[in-house]
Amino acid sequence: MSRWLTEAVPRGRVAAFRTLVYLFVAADLVVFTPWVRDRVDVPGNLYQPLFIGRVLPLPTPTATLVSVIFWALLVLALLAATGRAPRLLGWTVFALYLEWMIIAMSYGKVDHDRFALLVALAVLPTAGRARHGDLTRTEAGGWALRVTQISVICTYFLAAWAKFRFGGLDWATGSVLAKAIIRRGTDLADLIAQVPHLLLVAQFGILAFELLSPLVFVLPERWRLAMVGFFYSFHLVTISTITISFAPHLVAMTSFLPLEKVRPVIALRRLLARRSTIDKRRLNPDPLPADTPPVPDPAAP
Amino acid sequence: MPYLRHAMDALTSRGRTVRVAVTALGLAVLLTGTIWGADDHFPFGPFRMYSTSDPADADAPDTRVEGVDLSGNLVDLGEAATGIRRAEIEGQQSRYVDDPSRLREVAEAYGRRHPDAPELAEVRIVIRWHDITDRRPTGRWVDETVVSWQVTR
Repeated sequence: MSRWLTEAVPRGRVAAFRTLVYLFVAADLVVFTPWVRDRVDVPGNLYQPLFIGRVLPLPTPTATLVSVIFWALLVLALLAATGRAPRLLGWTVFALYLEWMIIAMSYGKVDHDRFALLVALAVLPTAGRARHGDLTRTEAGGWALRVTQISVICTYFLAAWAKFRFGGLDWATGSVLAKAIIRRGTDLADLIAQVPHLLLVAQFGILAFELLSPLVFVLPERWRLAMVGFFYSFHLVTISTITISFAPHLVAMTSFLPLEKVRPVIALRRLLARRSTIDKRRLNPDPLPADTPPVPDPAAP
Repeated sequence: MPYLRHAMDALTSRGRTVRVAVTALGLAVLLTGTIWGADDHFPFGPFRMYSTSDPADADAPDTRVEGVDLSGNLVDLGEAATGIRRAEIEGQQSRYVDDPSRLREVAEAYGRRHPDAPELAEVRIVIRWHDITDRRPTGRWVDETVVSWQVTR
């Protein structure tokens, strides 16, 4: 069990995941949850601190406090995305993002789409240094990715549990999807809602997929990736019908993917190198002598 | 998997033990939160998005905040106008009903964002009840004002 929990992965995968997660934190601030900054316009007495906010001596957010956290987090997350000082920057970003979330969730509404992202932020500092493209395997990095994966699956599996706890066994035969569509449905959802029994089937489908989600850990590699692909397609449907994005969860779920194979910077460099070779040939139409060294491959070690 | 041929950084046995213990502790807290906890225990509360059960024919509420300004115009006091999210209004709805003068907070948030707009005379929370029959919306609805407050100066 402890071998499985710390199964080694290439350092390059940890590096790619780290870059993605910290870039998302920066994007989350400006694209996905800019409303957190609007909390400043909301009167301080609407602030109902969460349990964690009452236990820790956290101040009632003011305009200054929110601005300081926003800018510090934005700059530090972008720095952390470079992979430098993974512990110092990692812990600082985790602490600031947690406080940012506590502020966001302390006004009467708690979101459930970011548990796995918070776990990823909490464990990434323990994964140590990792360079992009490095195939050396690391157990510390393997643990960080594994617990993020477990958190992703917990979000599904325990959501089914919560449905039994709060909704009871009637959840699947109720009208929860119709209600969601009325409150935040798209035109596509309105269309779907008219198909007889489709919402009922979808409710049973959601429960089944949430309860079966832990199977992802026992499937062979190829089927595991297919199942993760299915998870992503589920969220594609929820975005296009009831505009629930679950973006932080989707980012955390990339912990299942062989991210070390995605090298956008190298692909870009290759493209530019190819372009410049073509341009040179165009300027100098003489055929290259046979002993001209080939264009250096930036991917070569 | 080709990377299995590469060298490996192994954990020390202490590093491994600590990680196993932290994982077990985290799972235990999360499970406790799911079984007994509430949203208040974020981030370890239950994942209760869309977990309530609504009977197949239960009408669906669509809550909005609106106001009437001094010139008698209806003003939308949604998230774009006040910065307060709908779910936050719903989450604290009972507190507004118990003490309607708390709606002053909404009026103030609107005033700060729209200093040049005509002042509000009334703020209210309205629920539009959409009819659902056999798990499908029928397109019929009725509005219910759950709380309203005349702006006092």
